[in-house]
Amino acid sequence: MRQARPYSGMFCGGVSARTGPHALPLARIKKIMKRSAGEAAAGDGGARMISGEAPVVFSKACELFIAELTRRAWAATLEGKRRTVHREDVADAVRNTDLFDFLVDVVTNDND
Amino acid sequence: MESSMSFPSGGAANNGSQQQQQQQAQQHPAAIREQDRLMPIANVIRIMRRVLPPHAKISDDAKETIQECVSEYISFITGEANERCQREQRKTITAEDVLWAMSRLGFDDYVEPLSVYLHRYRDLEGEARGGDHHNRSAMVKSSSSRHHHHHHDMQTMQHMYGAVPLQHHQGFAAPPHQYLPYPYDTYGGEHATVAYYGAGGGPYGPVGNGGGDGSGGSASQAGASFEHPFAYK
Repeated sequence: MRQARPYSGMFCGGVSARTGPHALPLARIKKIMKRSAGEAAAGDGGARMISGEAPVVFSKACELFIAELTRRAWAATLEGKRRTVHREDVADAVRNTDLFDFLVDVVTNDND
Repeated sequence: MESSMSFPSGGAANNGSQQQQQQQAQQHPAAIREQDRLMPIANVIRIMRRVLPPHAKISDDAKETIQECVSEYISFITGEANERCQREQRKTITAEDVLWAMSRLGFDDYVEPLSVYLHRYRDLEGEARGGDHHNRSAMVKSSSSRHHHHHHDMQTMQHMYGAVPLQHHQGFAAPPHQYLPYPYDTYGGEHATVAYYGAGGGPYGPVGNGGGDGSGGSASQAGASFEHPFAYK
């Protein structure tokens, strides 16, 4: 992985802690992708390879995603006339948004 | 599987809140370290704060929940992208696969800004790998995007793109394209940069150019060989 290059360094949050306010670590993204792809690829005998650009797309996509989820959670916080975003607000945001249906299990405590 | 710490079967190892947190989020015993399956919480918080009003507070459980959601999002999209690769018998998940999956799973609003981001990334990468001409243009562009950065040491700027990194820039925090991810005007400082390099050959000092970029350095001593520093707008 290109670590030392100035251009890529911006995108690799792991090079320095101070790579700017936007960076999500590409190596971490790639790990998560690999686990997801690896599980699904059980049948075809080959672990999926991941292009160098795919984590780059995710680094930005995750920013957009976090931003959207946070905004919606905050809307729930405001409805509750509070100033602190709680897990339940995130859960509300998930419940109220079809797009976030895939998150239902993440925000639901089945162990309660 | 990579990077997995396997516990014995039935390994509901309650070694502490970290494991408990993982168990709450996952249906099966936690066998994977947090740092392997979650985005760093500091990054997540930073992004959250950007969209929240200054007085807003975020509880720890909200932060952790969103952290989990991000990983789930990556897995969700990747799973779909991966299935497509399998169907088409391709081994590599590409950026296009990811964008396709996002569109398919309802995140089509993201596709355009992500495409812009990706194209800019590709342009930069192409130039970074290019020859001295490309390096020159890239360097100039980078300084333009950093026009607010009061670092007028041209030699230093040069070394960010030369073969030999300048010693004190080892920990250089913000490469010139720090703000590239946002589809903002990265090149707003173009005019400033033209003035900066207007004399021609200015930034190409003799220091450290003896490395792989040597040809570029010496060639550029001619200075005015490039009228307009930008390869493209």
